[in-house]
Amino acid sequence: MVPATPSASATRSPARDASRRLGLGALTFWRVLRANPLTLAGFLVVAAICIAAVIVVVAPHLLTQYGPDQLTTTYNQPPSLHHPSGTDGNGLDIYSETLYSLPLDLVIAFAIAGVAMLAGGGLGLVAGFWDRPGTVGGVVSVVVMRITDIFLAFPSLILALAIAVSLGRGVWQLIVAILLTWWPYYVRLVRGETLAVKHLPYVTAARAAGVTEGRIVLRHILRNVLEPVVVYFTLDIGTVLVTLSTIGFVGLGLVYPGQAEWGSMMSYYQGFGLITAYPWTVLGPGLAIFVTVLAFSLLGDGLRDILDPRSRRVLAGTGTGAITAAAPSEPALPAGGGGIAIPVESEVPIAA
Amino acid sequence: MSDPVVSIQGLSIDYVVGAGRFRAVSDVSLDVERGHVVGIVGETGCGKSTLAQAIPRLLPEPPATIGAGKIFFQGTDLVQVPRWKMPAIRGTGINMIFQEPLNSLNPAFRVYDQVAEAVHIRQVRESGRGAVVRTEPGPFDDSRRPSPKASDAWAGKVVPGGAAAEAVHRREVDRRTGRSRDEVRKEVLDYLRLVRINDPETILNLYPHELSGGMRQRIMIAMALSEKPSLLIADEPTSALDVTIQAQVLTLMKELIEEVNTSILFISHDLGVIAETADELGVMYAGKLVEFGPVGEIFASPRHPYTKALLRAAPTRYKSDGPLLSIAGNVPNLARPPPGCRYHPRCPIARPVCRVEPGPPLQAVTGAGSTHRSACHFAAEVPQIP
Repeated sequence: MVPATPSASATRSPARDASRRLGLGALTFWRVLRANPLTLAGFLVVAAICIAAVIVVVAPHLLTQYGPDQLTTTYNQPPSLHHPSGTDGNGLDIYSETLYSLPLDLVIAFAIAGVAMLAGGGLGLVAGFWDRPGTVGGVVSVVVMRITDIFLAFPSLILALAIAVSLGRGVWQLIVAILLTWWPYYVRLVRGETLAVKHLPYVTAARAAGVTEGRIVLRHILRNVLEPVVVYFTLDIGTVLVTLSTIGFVGLGLVYPGQAEWGSMMSYYQGFGLITAYPWTVLGPGLAIFVTVLAFSLLGDGLRDILDPRSRRVLAGTGTGAITAAAPSEPALPAGGGGIAIPVESEVPIAA
Repeated sequence: MSDPVVSIQGLSIDYVVGAGRFRAVSDVSLDVERGHVVGIVGETGCGKSTLAQAIPRLLPEPPATIGAGKIFFQGTDLVQVPRWKMPAIRGTGINMIFQEPLNSLNPAFRVYDQVAEAVHIRQVRESGRGAVVRTEPGPFDDSRRPSPKASDAWAGKVVPGGAAAEAVHRREVDRRTGRSRDEVRKEVLDYLRLVRINDPETILNLYPHELSGGMRQRIMIAMALSEKPSLLIADEPTSALDVTIQAQVLTLMKELIEEVNTSILFISHDLGVIAETADELGVMYAGKLVEFGPVGEIFASPRHPYTKALLRAAPTRYKSDGPLLSIAGNVPNLARPPPGCRYHPRCPIARPVCRVEPGPPLQAVTGAGSTHRSACHFAAEVPQIP
């Protein structure tokens, strides 16, 4: 019955309920991270990079005293306290320039990988689940997969360069150029995972329970496909950044001060032969690419452990084989230490 | 005895594999009476599971195709129902428990979410928002309680001032069933207790991989029962479990059969299991139903040579002398079934006619009860087989 007034029990800590449903409380998340130092490092650096990007947009003077196109009176200065990455031949502070490029680089990388994941992943899910020959779904599946194959047949970097050349310079042009070569990988990945998952007994069991096909896809298949996709997505952010920099490096990127991305900056300095005379000019943006890509890779590798309930429980020490006592975030677990009272091997006896 | 929950008439199922085509189930007719437990036994590969999965149309089609026959359920022929309409019949109409409890629960969700999904499916249908399928009264029958309609909640009819609608808005009350989260939770706990799970509050928050096989199978049973199905198909629910757990789950099933008034089709290759649970027994051989009748009668006096051999081959703890008996020969290859009666190469009373003429349709046996039917030309001679 609909309660006239929401009773105390009906409103029983919805936040706790929600976190329990997700199975991923902040505390669990932290415990898994702590168990895996490299992932933790990756997570912290990624967090720092994202926070830095926000600060650059909101209040750049907190991180640097120079604007992106602000000329100083010193030229070709080696790194110093005042100019952490030195200055270039025009007197621009390289540290500031690199920093100002950060938000744009991140947004482009997330946009490309994100749209590729949603579009490619969606196509892969549909093509993988409804692939019975002789049905509408089967025809759609074949068409999607053949188009994917066509795109995959081209070397993706060359294709991206060709598209970038034909579209001209600009943020949108760059995003479109890379995106067009980026989505097929997600189709392949998600379709493969879907094919593997859809024949598992729990999908049949869900079907037997009267769950509709659409809901099976969205709930039972998607949730079990999500894990490798999110991991791949995180690793992919780094790959997109590298591709972006490559396109910039060969001279098709964004070059305006404050809107330059890192590959273009490196290319610009390298083009004057400055790499031998003034190596710090290349080092600034180069180091930025290196650190960002590495951080996302480390985080991506560890995300699998966080997303998979099995390893999550073990690493967080809240499940079977627990090292520590039951986590406070899981109050329903019996207190009494040692985690959970259900031994895996022996059976809980039938109640009298 | 004339109100079958499901009535299978002349059902044949073919598998098309490559250029080959073989008949896994041929011309099976079977009724499951309301409230009865019907057991199906047979060797591996005799078509039991194919038959079980064909009823709720869960077989992958292709490679499987229903070659002929009808499956009447609540007045409709399921063979004619388009596939996209089947989800409305599955669950509350026909539900199923599978062989593999280890993989039949979704590894990504906690026990609560999985049982709640089943409860939710039923509640949606009870609230009249899904396809209307009659459900059996369950052990926690609250069907007499008027279920609040979600539309009432939206319109603010239940409580003046629209508090109910507000509750829906805050997602404390389900939009489609009008039930509060606590009600669902209570019902989930009820069903976990029904399958004798101690401390269900703890189990709710566990993932399937943290549970043993027996626990998982109990949760599968709880999920199936929580939908109050008219017909429950148990496809070897204990085969994948080890013997002690098997015994526990079987005891549970037997107790539940008493408590829950559901018709059950119980598939097994274990005669002991069937003897303990079923009212009627069907024996399958090479895709055909060769004998059907009351369990006691078949066990006391089988009227098909295959049933007789099967019973003799079953190990009993009372007869420990001598070697374990087996049936000579193998189950025939269904791509090239033997001519005539399919059992004749292994049959001790086979005559020349058996090699030519296929076994007769199930027919009443003289000298046996009226509901006891066998598909043997010489059913009357079976009792004389040593």
